[in-house]
Amino acid sequence: MTQRTTEIIVGLFMIAGLAALLFLALQVSGLSPKPAEDTYRVYANFNDTGGLTPRGRVSMAGVTVGTIESISLDKKTFQARVTMAIHSDIDNIPADSSAVIRTSGLLGEQYIDISVGGDMESLAEGDTFYSTQSAMNLERLIGNFASGR
Amino acid sequence: MIDRVVALGHLGLTVVSSFGRSGRFLAGVLLGVPRPATGFPLLIKQLYGVGVLSLAIVIVSGLFIGMVLGLQGYTILSDYGSEAAIGQMIALTLVRELGPVVTALLFAGRAGSALTAEIGLMKATEQLSSMEMMGVDPLRRVIAPRLWAGFIAMPVLAIIFSAVGIWGGMLVGVDWLGVFEGSFWGNMQSSVDFAEDVMNGVIKSVVFGFVCSWIAVYQGYDCVPTSAGISAATTKTVVYSSLAVLGLDFVLTAIMFGDF
Amino acid sequence: MGSPAYISLKDVVFSRSGRRIFDGVSLDVPRGKITAIMGPSGTGKTTLLRLIGGQLRPDSGSVVLDGHEVPRLKRADLYAMREKIGMLFQSGALFTDLSVFENVAFPLRVHSSLPEDMIHDIVLMKLEAVGLRGARHLMPSELSGGMTRRVALARSIALDPELIMYDEPFAGQDPIAMGVLVKLIRDLNSSMGLTSVLVSHDVPESLSICHFACIIADGKVIGQGTPEELRAHPSEQVQQFLKGQPDGPVPFHYPAAEASRDYGLSGGAS
Repeated sequence: MTQRTTEIIVGLFMIAGLAALLFLALQVSGLSPKPAEDTYRVYANFNDTGGLTPRGRVSMAGVTVGTIESISLDKKTFQARVTMAIHSDIDNIPADSSAVIRTSGLLGEQYIDISVGGDMESLAEGDTFYSTQSAMNLERLIGNFASGR
Repeated sequence: MIDRVVALGHLGLTVVSSFGRSGRFLAGVLLGVPRPATGFPLLIKQLYGVGVLSLAIVIVSGLFIGMVLGLQGYTILSDYGSEAAIGQMIALTLVRELGPVVTALLFAGRAGSALTAEIGLMKATEQLSSMEMMGVDPLRRVIAPRLWAGFIAMPVLAIIFSAVGIWGGMLVGVDWLGVFEGSFWGNMQSSVDFAEDVMNGVIKSVVFGFVCSWIAVYQGYDCVPTSAGISAATTKTVVYSSLAVLGLDFVLTAIMFGDF
Repeated sequence: MGSPAYISLKDVVFSRSGRRIFDGVSLDVPRGKITAIMGPSGTGKTTLLRLIGGQLRPDSGSVVLDGHEVPRLKRADLYAMREKIGMLFQSGALFTDLSVFENVAFPLRVHSSLPEDMIHDIVLMKLEAVGLRGARHLMPSELSGGMTRRVALARSIALDPELIMYDEPFAGQDPIAMGVLVKLIRDLNSSMGLTSVLVSHDVPESLSICHFACIIADGKVIGQGTPEELRAHPSEQVQQFLKGQPDGPVPFHYPAAEASRDYGLSGGAS
C-alpha cells in the first residue's frame, strides 16, 4: 500500500471519529449548534423544591421555554429561591402566572411548569412569580390520606 | 521464613525497578520528539495499523453491546412503565463507561498485543539494535510514533464505539421493541450533557489510550528477545492494560462523577 | 603493527547479570586492515562489538575508537560517531516492513538530505557492489539467508563508513554464500580501505581473509597475531580451538559431579 492510500484511509478514519463526536454532541446530548440563546431572568420562591435541580427545564404547556439556573435558600423567609433563565423570544408571560413544580411521570425528574395567568402585563428581567406551588410530596400526600385529613 | 521475606523484598525491588525503567523509557520517548518531516508519515502509518485496523472489531462490538443494552434496558424499565428512559440509559452507560472501557479492553487485545509482538520481534531480530548502530534512536523512530498513534486513535475509536452503540440501542429499542422514537431521543438529550458526560468519556479514553499504548510499547521494548519472551510480553500487555484500565476507570469515575 | 591502532581496548572488564564476561581484555585493531576476533561460542564476541559501538559500557577499562573514549561520549556524539560505523548483524537485521531498496536507502534518508535521484543512484551502486541490484524490489522475507546478509552488508556500507564490524558473517551459510561473503569482505577492505572487525568461530574462513587475529576464551585474550603466528602458537588452548579438537584444555564434559554419585552408585550405602 502506498503512503498516499494510507494517508487517505487514516484521514477517513479521523473524519469518522469527528462525525461520531458530532453525532454524540447534537443528537445524543442535544447540544444546539446555535450559540446559547438570549435569555432573561425571573425568580420564584417555593416552600419546598423537592428534587428540583439546576439545569432542569422550565416549560409552558409542556414546551420547554427555559432552564433552571440556580436554587438557593432565602435566609429571611427560609424559602427556596429559584432563578430561571427564560428564552428572550417568550417575552409575553402574563405577570400573574404561577410557577408549579411538577414531576414528569410517576418517578421522573422534576421541572417547573408555568401555568398561564390572564394579566395584560408581562414578566420582565428580574421579576418574581407572584404565586407558586411547591413540589408534590408523595409521602406527605399518602400520610395525609392515611390519617384521614 | 527468612527466605520468604527476602523473596518478597526482592520481588518488591523488581517491581519498583521495572516501574523506574518504564518511566525513564517514557521520558526518552516523549522528550525525543521526531522531526515533523520524518515523524508525520511514520505517525500516519502507525495510525493506520493501530486505529484503522481496530475499527472493525470496535464497530461490531459497539453495535452488539448497544443492542444488548437496548434489550436488557427494555425488559427492566418496562416493569416500571418507563421504557422511554431506555435512550437515556443506553446513552449514559455507553458514553460514560462502556465506550471508553470496552474500547480500551478491545484495543489492548487487538492493537496493544500486536504492538508488543511487533516491537519484541524487532528486538529479537536485532532490528532495534541495528538501528541504534546506524545512529538512529529507536525510541524516536520506532516507539514514539506507535505511542502517539495509540494516544490519538483511542479516543476516536471510543467515540465511534459509543455512537455505533447508541445507534444499535435505537435499532432494538425503537425499530424492534417499539419505543416511541421522539421520547427515545428526547429523554436522552435532556439527560446527557455534552461537557459533563460526553467530554468526560473522551477524557477517560485519552487516559486509557495513553496507558494502553505505553504498556504495549514498553513491554515490547523490554521483553526477553526469544519466542517465549515475546509471548510472555504479549500476555503481560493484555493483562496489565486490562487491569490498569479497570482500576483507572474507577478512579476517574470517582473524580468525575462522584459527589464529594 | 606499523599503522596506528584504530580501535584499542585496554583492560576491559564487563559483567552481565553477575557473570563476568570479560576479565581484562586488551587488544588493538589496526587501521585499514581486517582483524578477526575468534573464540568458542558464548565467550561474548558479540558483546565485544557492542562495547566498541557504545551500546554497552564496560565496568572498567577503556575503549578508544579513532581517538574517542567511547564509554564517555555524550549521547549526541555517540550517535554521530555511529554514522561512521557499519555493522553487519548475525541475522542481517533488515527492517522487515521495508523493501530491499528502502532498507539500503534508510541510513541515507535519515542521515543525509540528498535528493531522491541521488539516493536512488547510491543505493543501486551499493546493491551492485553486493551483486543484488536486480533484487531491489524484493521484501526481506523473500530473500535467502545469504542474500539477506548481502543486503545488510550493502546497507551497512551505504554511508561509506570508516569501520565495519561483522558479527558472525559466516554462521549458517552454505559454501557458495560463504565464498561470496569472503570475497565481498576482502574486496570492500581493499577497495574502500575500510577497517574491518570480524567476529567469528569459523576458523578457516576467518584466517583466510584476516590480517590479524585474536582468540578470546574465558574472558581473556589467549592469543593474538597474524594467522601464521597463531598457527604456530605454543598455547594448547589456541591449538585446540584452531584445530577443532573435541577434548583438551577446554574439556568435553561440562563440569559435573562425579558420575558415580549422579548415577546413585556412591559406595553402595544409599
